[in-house]
Amino acid sequence: MGVFDYRQAVEIRDAFSRHECRYLFIGKSGAILLGYPDTTQDAHLFVEESTDNGQRLVDALRELGFSLSDEQAADIRHGKDFVQLKNGPFDLDLVFAPDGIERFEDAWRRHVDVEGFPVCHIDDIIASKQAANRTKDRETLPRLQSFRDYWNQKRRD
Amino acid sequence: MPPDPAIPVEWLEEFEAVARRPLETHMKYAFIKTYKPVLDDAPYRAFDTMEDYRRWCEENLPDWLGYGRV
Repeated sequence: MGVFDYRQAVEIRDAFSRHECRYLFIGKSGAILLGYPDTTQDAHLFVEESTDNGQRLVDALRELGFSLSDEQAADIRHGKDFVQLKNGPFDLDLVFAPDGIERFEDAWRRHVDVEGFPVCHIDDIIASKQAANRTKDRETLPRLQSFRDYWNQKRRD
Repeated sequence: MPPDPAIPVEWLEEFEAVARRPLETHMKYAFIKTYKPVLDDAPYRAFDTMEDYRRWCEENLPDWLGYGRV
């Protein structure tokens, strides 16, 4: 399996758009799309939890080349809180209920569009990392918060 | 834009360097692949709740991966 790259992000964007999936890039991959300089391994998507959106996700993922059994498709349709996919052309984490964000709709209202990629607002990315409170999140937060200051200032200018 | 004194100079330089790059180039260097023990050893996992996922990480992944809660 190769490294996630821009072309694959475009494939997600286009396939999810064709199937009208409701999703947002979140986590460090989301921050990277906003211009955050760091490294990560996988793409993380915050997806709206609904049976309809779940079915659209399954269709889009299969079109992208993910090999989903009927049972796995049902997990996605019914919105397990966290689904980790390593059975496709790239690794992908689906998060239906990220820590620190109450509702998908709230995050959607605040989201940022980057070249057609729907991305969580930096405040939501930071809130989810603060709430998760893992060692790796703690290490990332000071720099991510500085990036938020920079990003906010740049948007105001 | 005047520099924000609260942002360390080295970080500010990195933020500005990325802002000058096309997104495609930035992503080329931002996504990497290294083997993560246990985590990378199954093609599929699903958890009913985030709490289940966090607990599974703490019980199954090596501490040095950083997935344990503080």
